[in-house]
Formats: sequence, structure tokens, C-alpha cells
Amino acid sequence: MKKTVVLLIIIGLVVSAYKKIGSYELIVPNNWPKPVYDFNRNPLTSEKILLGRVLFYDPILSKDNTISCSSCHSQFSAFTHIDHPLSHGIDNQIGKRNSPALMNLAWNSSFMWDGAVNHLDMQALAPISNTVEMNETIGHVVEKLQQSPIYPQLFYKAFGDSIITGERLLKSISQFMLTLVSCHSKYDSVQQKKASFTTQEKNGYQLFKKNCSSCHKEPFFTNDQFENNGLQVDTSLKDIGRMMVTQDSANYLQFRVPKLRNIQYSYPYMHDGRFAKLKQVLDHYTNGVVRYKNLSKLLLKTINLTSNEKVDLIAFLYTLSDTAFIFDKRYSYPRDILH
Amino acid sequence: MIPTRKHLYLLLFGLICTGLVQAQGTLSFHPCYGKDFLQLTDSGYQSKDKDSITISLFRFYVSGIELWNDGKRVWEEKNYHLINASDTSTFKISLSNIYTINYNKIIFNLGIDSTTNVSGAMGGDLDPMKGMYWAWQSGYINVKLEGTSPLCKTRNNGFEFHLGGYHTPVNALQTIELPLKSSDKIEVFIDLKQLLTNIDLSKTNQLMSPSKEAVELSRKLSKVFEIR
Ligand code: HEC
Ligand code: HEC
Repeated sequence: MKKTVVLLIIIGLVVSAYKKIGSYELIVPNNWPKPVYDFNRNPLTSEKILLGRVLFYDPILSKDNTISCSSCHSQFSAFTHIDHPLSHGIDNQIGKRNSPALMNLAWNSSFMWDGAVNHLDMQALAPISNTVEMNETIGHVVEKLQQSPIYPQLFYKAFGDSIITGERLLKSISQFMLTLVSCHSKYDSVQQKKASFTTQEKNGYQLFKKNCSSCHKEPFFTNDQFENNGLQVDTSLKDIGRMMVTQDSANYLQFRVPKLRNIQYSYPYMHDGRFAKLKQVLDHYTNGVVRYKNLSKLLLKTINLTSNEKVDLIAFLYTLSDTAFIFDKRYSYPRDILH
Repeated sequence: MIPTRKHLYLLLFGLICTGLVQAQGTLSFHPCYGKDFLQLTDSGYQSKDKDSITISLFRFYVSGIELWNDGKRVWEEKNYHLINASDTSTFKISLSNIYTINYNKIIFNLGIDSTTNVSGAMGGDLDPMKGMYWAWQSGYINVKLEGTSPLCKTRNNGFEFHLGGYHTPVNALQTIELPLKSSDKIEVFIDLKQLLTNIDLSKTNQLMSPSKEAVELSRKLSKVFEIR
């Protein structure tokens, strides 16, 4: 009897710390803000999510059937491309940048390091097309899907008929990506008072709040803005960041502030993958910041950290690792459908 | 029932009537080169003038169609239409329930508004499958115009204009207003000769992303939409 009561209380606590989004069971912590993605235009269903997941893992999306989304976004590295500073692919456009980790995408107001993509639905078009412009490449993908032995049925299950269109294809891939929610790290447990930080982690958290969280804002560890964080320009890549999109020199070398959840798994770091280790990232913030004219105001004050403090800060960053996310079967290769 | 001659007359009468009604409720676009109708076959259109211009592709979006009468809006629709010069079936847009309305002006957009540009994947004529969407930097391509001219010192003398952009200051959307003589069927002619002779093709021949030049060319294109 006593046991059941305790259990009920625990369940109560667990339930009250999380809330549901929309009709589908997308469970997120209570204190998370309203998503940016408009779920009313694309209501989640398990059939569409499954279709999106199959598409995400299927190389049929690439021109020569060799590369899938997961080639550059693999689950064990929080859906980034580890080992490769710059993602390899059939397209040299994409080869210029490091692939970001994919998670909590419903809260992004833009995508890509420079925000060139304005909506999650449109993201998949970039890797699908193999030239700067799409020239109906997605049309070919749709044709291939129509002729495939598996897709007409999957579209039928998801949409009630087996008609395959670009809109349906893109929205299904979005559905799968929207379910990639990471919110079960030690940090989250501590926020919900179900765990506590070690002294080292606690100290790291204080240092983080003091020096980093103006840009890497909780709970997503990004302020969803573009900032110039003082990285030396790589003269071989000449990547000017956000300025490419706006043509405005005020945006020179500004990049989207990346999310830091699962940062332990998503090395190498920065838009061009220049740093292999978190220690190097911290060394950049303490000693390497280039004083550009448009350096972010949030970095004008020099960051000072002792080497012990750096160790503590990294210990805190490791509390953002979410193994439940990395091993979640719902996100893995759909073995029973793709062989 | 065996159809009699009377039935056939009735059928014929019915067909004529629907024909009339439909004619009243349509907006037609006629891509032209000077006086010539632009018939885009697989090998493209070849100008009959000395300018030796060829046109291989011409597509554009029309949206936000409104009818006005003496300064008052009397009719509107919220659809998006892709007009493709190589597919005559896209030239006609039927406007529902306008027979009883008087109007003397039409207003429409050449291109896609900014709200639609940021609202995610859409179907029908807005499906990215139609090839009118930029993959690397999100946004609809309002207009595609491609061809060749000896003035272009490019590969194969080609010119390629992909006009779009929905952010200020590179918002390429154009609003076109045309006075109508009577509440009759609406026939809009687009004279590409006027456009192509009004720009310096030796300098401007590749516009493939949002820019000030693309806005300017969109504005020039909007001026060659006319009622004849
Ligand atoms: C060849 C490697 C490669 C492939 C294949 C690939 N991506 Fe990416 N992805 C990247 C890179 C690199 C970026 C960042 C590009 C940039 O910022 O310019 C990126 C960015 C993204 C983003 C933006 C994330 C953010 O936070 O801004 C999403 C979402 C995404 N990809 C989804 C997909 C999907 C869906 C597919 C399959 C249709 C896919 N990717 C295929 C390399 C790849
Ligand atoms: C001015 C805003 C700002 C501040 C303050 C800031 N960052 Fe960053 N951070 C950024 C931006 C922008 C990037 C991406 C830069 C790029 O790739 O060009 C970034 C990248 C990173 C990355 C790499 C992430 C990845 O996925 O590649 C890490 C790790 C990081 N920051 C940690 C920190 C830490 C720790 C602090 C505090 C010591 C901090 N940042 C302070 C803006 C900031």
C-alpha cells in the first residue's frame, strides 16, 4: 500500500514536469516555450512520422542513390556528422560546412548556420537538389518514390491515398525531425529536482551562466540569433556567414548560435568543424577572440577562465548529454521497412 | 431514350451558353514577342526580328487577383497560379461568380507574397516540385525567363533570369494594375520584346538569386503586362 502511494506520487511528479504538444504525444518539459513550428498546418500522426523516418534513412533521396539524410546526420552523434569537420556529399555547397546536430527543431526560427532556410519543411530541399537550384530534382525523387515497392503504400497509410507530391514528402520528413526532442539529460533532471549536480558541475553551471548563457540561452542553449563570436576567418573557405543571406555587412561572420545539448557527442565544433575538443572551444573564448568591428556585444567583456574552471565548465556541458535521445529506438534506422 | 434532333439542338444551345459563361469568367494571359504569340515548343521560340533572340523558358506566378470598380474592390481570390509559356492549359484562370459584377480595373501580384514564402511546404501550383523554389536559400522564384541572344557573351549566348526574393530591400514582388474597358473577358498580354529591348543584355544576363537587379528587372517586366 505504502509502496503504491510512493509510486503514484513519483508518477505524479514525472507527469507534472512534462507537457504534451498537439494531438500527438510529443512530450516536453513544462517550462519550455511554445514551439515556433505551426503544428496546425502539419498535425503529427504516427503514420506520417514513420514515413518521414523511412525517407530520412533512405538514399533514394539522392541523385545517385548513395546518400541519405542519415549519412550526414547519424543518431549516435545527435544527428550530426562526426569525424568530418566538413560534411561530405554529392554537393560541394554542403561540403563547406559542418553538419549541425538535429534536435528540438520545432523551436528554431530559421535553419542552417546562416539562416538561409526559413522553414523546417524546406530544409530537405537543399540536400535533395544537387545544384545551386533545384531544377525539378525533387520531381525526380517523387517519380522514384512512385515506382518504389514500398512508398505508395506508406503514403497511402499516411495520407489516405497513394498520391505522392513534393508537399507531402517534405511535410513527412518534417514530422520525423519534429519528434527529435532531447530533454532527458542530467541537466533536465536537475531542473526538475530529480537529481543534483556534483560540486564541479555546479561550479561549471555558474561559470556558464556568467559567461555563456547570454548567447547559449536555456533551455535550448541558443538565443536563436546570429552572432559573431570572434572566430578567425578560414581563408580557404571564405565563409562570410549570415552576410551571404542578407548582403548586409553588419552580418559579416555572424552564424546561428548553436544549441549545446549533446555537445559531448557532436564534435567537431563550429560551422567549419575547426575544433575537435571542447577544451579548444574554451581556449578560443578566453584567448582567441578576434576583435572584429561587429563582434557580438555579448562578447565585448573578455572571458577569463582558469584551467580548473575550464574543467568544471566542461563537466557542466557533459550534463547536457541525453543518452535516452542517442539510443531512442523510435529514431533509429527502420530495419523492418528498409533492408 | 433515343436522342432526337431537338435534344441535339438543346445540347448545342447548352454548350454555347456554358461557353459564353466561361468566357465571361476567365482571365487569360498571352505571352508574346512583339505581335507574335509566344509558342514555346521543345526547341523554344525564335524571334522573327533581326535581334535573333530565342526564348526557351518563361514561367511566372500570379496571385492575389482583385477586381475593382470605380475605386472600390468588388471581387478577390486568394489562389496562386503558375503560368507556363510552354503549357497553354495554364494560360486561363477561371474567376468564379463574376458575371453579375461590374468592374473596370484588375489588380494582381506578379509573384508570391512574403507570408506564403515563410509558411512551409504547400501543394498545387506552390508545390516545390514545380521547380519554382530555391533550395539553398529558401524562397519562391516568382519568374523564370531563359533564352539566348547574340548580345550575351556567356556560354551558348544564354541569358537566365530567376527573379524572386521576399525580404526588404530585395523584395521582388510586383503589383500590377490594369484598367479594363468593359466588364468583358480579361485578356492580358505580356510583351517580352519590350522587356528584352529595354535592358542591356550584354551586361544583365544572369540573375539567379535575390538582388537589387532582380527587383529592378521584375519592375520592368511588370510594365510589359498590358491590355490590348
Ligand atoms: C552531405 C551531407 C548532408 C546530407 C546528405 C544532409 N545534410 Fe542536413 N545538413 C548538412 C550540413 C552541412 C548542414 C549545415 C549547412 C549550412 O549551415 O550551410 C545541414 C543542416 C541541416 C538542418 C538544419 C539544422 C539547424 O539547426 O539549422 C536540418 C534540419 C537538416 N540538415 C536536415 C537534413 C535532412 C532532412 C536531410 C535529408 C533530406 C539532410 N539534412 C541531408 C549536411 C547534410
Ligand atoms: C556572443 C555570443 C556567444 C557567447 C557569449 C558564447 N558563444 Fe559559443 N557560440 C556562439 C556562436 C555564434 C557559435 C557558432 C560560431 C561558428 O560556428 O562560427 C558558438 C559555438 C559554440 C560551440 C560549438 C557548438 C557546435 O555545435 O559546434 C560551443 C561548444 C560553444 N559555443 C560554447 C560556448 C561556451 C562554453 C561559452 C562561454 C564560455 C560560449 N560558447 C559563449 C556564440 C556565443
